[in-house]
Amino acid sequence: MRIIASPAVVLIVMAAGAGAGSLGALLGIGGGVFLVPFLNLVIGLPFLSAAGISLMTVIATSSAVSAYSSGRQLINLRLGMVLEVATVLGAFVGSLAVGVLSDRQLHLLFAAVMAGIALIMMTRLDRRNVILDPTVDPGTLGGRFYEQESGGEVSYRVRRLPLGLGVSFAAGVLSILLGIGGGTLKVPALNAWCGVPMRAAAATSAFMIGVTALAGAIKYYVRGDIRPELAAAAVLGVLAGSRAGFWIGARARAKGLKALMAAVLGGVAVIYFFK
Amino acid sequence: MKATYELFGRLLTAGVTLSAACLAVGLAVAFAGRTRDVTPPAARLLLDAGLIVLMATPLLRVLVSLSEEVRNRNWFFAGITFIVVVVLAATLWTAL
Repeated sequence: MRIIASPAVVLIVMAAGAGAGSLGALLGIGGGVFLVPFLNLVIGLPFLSAAGISLMTVIATSSAVSAYSSGRQLINLRLGMVLEVATVLGAFVGSLAVGVLSDRQLHLLFAAVMAGIALIMMTRLDRRNVILDPTVDPGTLGGRFYEQESGGEVSYRVRRLPLGLGVSFAAGVLSILLGIGGGTLKVPALNAWCGVPMRAAAATSAFMIGVTALAGAIKYYVRGDIRPELAAAAVLGVLAGSRAGFWIGARARAKGLKALMAAVLGGVAVIYFFK
Repeated sequence: MKATYELFGRLLTAGVTLSAACLAVGLAVAFAGRTRDVTPPAARLLLDAGLIVLMATPLLRVLVSLSEEVRNRNWFFAGITFIVVVVLAATLWTAL
């Protein structure tokens, strides 16, 4: 069994994974949006290979973040289960399209999504959406959690569920085709349109994306698109990087970094548009 | 519900830890034992095992979800979780 990747390339991919993981955790968008273009444009892997490796890191991040969030009960299990149906169906549709779209079509789609994410990053509203009275019935899909800002337990109700299901389906399709987590679409939608507080939306989205990414990862793995040594390096890097990102995020404000990264993603969108 | 959160937390932590250990040891074996760009079979086995454990972790979480909902007789949530399992099985079937 031959491998082409030298130890130096494996180390570079690990470092890139760490960078993508920490930026992703710091900005709350996952590392895939940075890792896919790096693996494709800098390392020179085919787009499908980069997307497959990135989906492996999405599963790792989802499991690690959800294990941490479970303890703080920020994940809304019921809402996550309902939205998971839509996102997994989207992932199934996306997995059927893997290998069908041409490189040019994938590049244009990636460019459009990167531009959209850059725009969302700059305009994200971060609505609070909480009811301070914890005795209020949050309904079947609503939730309660301890909020540091108000120093007590707060509730929230879920609104416009069909909209959340639609966005989750679209996020599932795009996640598989482009190798990104899909949280970038789901989190702002749940927060701005469905009444879910940002932290609960992010934790619930992180909980779901592992299952979404699994649908695509299986496909890429079976097709042989995933290079095990590079996937291992990226996964280990992202796991270490996302821990660092959370640590930094708890101590620093990411506003300036957000603007810089939105500009970087805008630049990546332009490169893919003209590639 | 708290017990379910704790169960998920333990399951996900175990899955990620086991996978990361297999991948790290696999990489170490791959580069320590490689000659002329040939990966030792043990390394390939460990790397594949790490990736398979990684992929199995969310799948196991969905199956545990399903069994918890059935055990608690929450038929609506058991039903939608069953749909997720069926779609994942269909994805695997079409991939193979």
